[in-house]
Amino acid sequence: MKLLAKTTVYFLIVMIPLLAAGGIFLFQQFSKEIDYKTDEELIYEEIKWIQYLKTELENGTTFILKTPDLLIYPVHEPVNQFPVISDTYGFSEDQDTRISYRELSHTVAINNIPYQITIRKSQQQKAVLVTNVIRLMLFVFAGLFIATLIFNWLISKNLWKPFKTSLEKIRRAELHKMEAIHFDKTNITEFNELNTSLNYMTEKMYNDYLNMKEFTENAAHEMQTPLAVAQSKMELILQDSNLTAEQVESVMQAETAIHRLSKLNQSLLLLAKIENNQYDTTETINLPGVIKKYLQLFHEVIRDKELIVETNFTRDFHLQIHPLLADSLVSNLIGNAVKYNFKGGKIIINTTENKFRVSNTSQLPPINPLLLYKRFNRSKQSVDASTGLGLAIVKKIADTNGLQINYHSENGLHSFELGKNRI
Amino acid sequence: MVGLFCEVRAGFLKLILTVSGIFTTMKILIIEDEEGLRQSMQKYLEQQGYVCETADDFLMGMQKVFNYQYDCVVVDIGLPRGSGLDIVKKLKEIESKSGIIIISAKNSLEDKLKGLEFGSDDYLTKPFHLSELNARINAIIRRRHFDGNKIIRFNEIKLDAEAQRVSVNKKPVDLTEKEYQLLEYFIANQRRVLTKSAIAAHIWGDEYELVSNYDFIYTHIKNLRKKLVDAGSGDYIKTVHGTGYRFTDI
Repeated sequence: MKLLAKTTVYFLIVMIPLLAAGGIFLFQQFSKEIDYKTDEELIYEEIKWIQYLKTELENGTTFILKTPDLLIYPVHEPVNQFPVISDTYGFSEDQDTRISYRELSHTVAINNIPYQITIRKSQQQKAVLVTNVIRLMLFVFAGLFIATLIFNWLISKNLWKPFKTSLEKIRRAELHKMEAIHFDKTNITEFNELNTSLNYMTEKMYNDYLNMKEFTENAAHEMQTPLAVAQSKMELILQDSNLTAEQVESVMQAETAIHRLSKLNQSLLLLAKIENNQYDTTETINLPGVIKKYLQLFHEVIRDKELIVETNFTRDFHLQIHPLLADSLVSNLIGNAVKYNFKGGKIIINTTENKFRVSNTSQLPPINPLLLYKRFNRSKQSVDASTGLGLAIVKKIADTNGLQINYHSENGLHSFELGKNRI
Repeated sequence: MVGLFCEVRAGFLKLILTVSGIFTTMKILIIEDEEGLRQSMQKYLEQQGYVCETADDFLMGMQKVFNYQYDCVVVDIGLPRGSGLDIVKKLKEIESKSGIIIISAKNSLEDKLKGLEFGSDDYLTKPFHLSELNARINAIIRRRHFDGNKIIRFNEIKLDAEAQRVSVNKKPVDLTEKEYQLLEYFIANQRRVLTKSAIAAHIWGDEYELVSNYDFIYTHIKNLRKKLVDAGSGDYIKTVHGTGYRFTDI
């Protein structure tokens, strides 16, 4: 729920009892006023009746008057000094609706004979008053409601504008373009504080990012030289003809380990560089060309494994990509298709205008989609040591070059499909 | 004793090469600040019959480049007190005839292109096999010094580098492209133990690791060996158990 909507709801919720209280107060005030007026009329009427009765009763007659609104009859009760005025209920003339009455009741001595005088007046106007007051309050409430809506709209349009601008900037923020982001000064203190903090944060993030980028690259580079020293020493030791078989084996294992370390290092460096967008995409590469190049390169292993390669380049697949990344993308996908295949297996490669699909037969079970592009998630059944970074690199290249990668596995046929994102 | 043996062997090798008319003593300058690597390169290259001088920083490298003539300069990019690229530039400025190989920890296309643009002949990324460095130095020197006569000899085997043709006792041997490359690499690194990974990386490139282990090179080597022996050459390709191969006539 929007902040404004929420405050509006709270406002209106608070307004309801306030308006109700106001309505009740208003009703009571009016009601008192009406009662007062009615009472005045009742008393005035009684006085008139008493005067009338006095003159009438001088003749010594007994007077009894009974109408729905007026009762005058003699009683044997003590006389009251003051009339009693109270609220009663009765039925209207058509006997249908119960309405409230204001009733004056007085036992008064007229010519020494006690008379009971009861006069009542319909309070129907009071019911009308209630509806009027409720209507008025509803009207006020509706007015407030509409007013707050308009007000909110205006506020959200103008007052929150700097906030929304900042939000939009954050939303579009990319780590490597952080430098260009600046949150401007506004004339609202709270937003100013927010923007100052955001500026500080982006600056810090960008600097950290630069440092990390530099560190990753430097670390990887610095590692290559000691690796080169170690590798060259191993190579020299191997030249010694006096080595025992055991020693040779140890040296070979060490050499393999160094080689692997160097490969890992290079792959991590490649990933870091892709992440840092250090490969510009000014060149257009036709993927089938790259695919053919690698099929040619891997030709011997394909032949040794007796793999059947079906290629179907129905259309060119042009891609704006750095040539090195295109190579890496294709070599990893086709490399996997060859490596994880079995003898006499099949590789099917299709390209259309916006799709590139590599499928291969394999005895390996389908890959868990959650672990598919995870770094260092090596296939446990894998025959020889791989870096475990191949698919992570493929995914990274796809992500940074507007490509979507999908994997599915069916009847022992594993397929990777690259598709261009629709823009 | 071993040292003496090496000397004798190196001398013997030089003698063969000189007699066969391909190599005179070739001088190589290694500019590399990392001592371990510098020594390894020097040792390996000297074993292969080169005369090596070394420099361990930028200034010394510059000085040597100015004062002496080398057949090939191996230069690291990241040097103390300067960039190896500036040495490459300087070499071109003084119109040196040396071949230049850049070695760098950076495997970046931009750096490679820059190095080649400045006039280096080759670019090698650390870590590399010493046999690979040697093969490349060989190729560069051959390109630079024997215009029109790019013949490599090893006893009765003769390689025409230009036409990529091989003959044993003047009888042509029909080799595939890979087999030819193998032979050339073997001869460049003669008498040295070559690991399968070094051989595979040289002939098929690093990317081959994506698809396979190195077992497939066995077939190629077996075929090459058979073709050479069938053509009447000595059986020079020896299997070094657990390691790889050695091409030797000793």
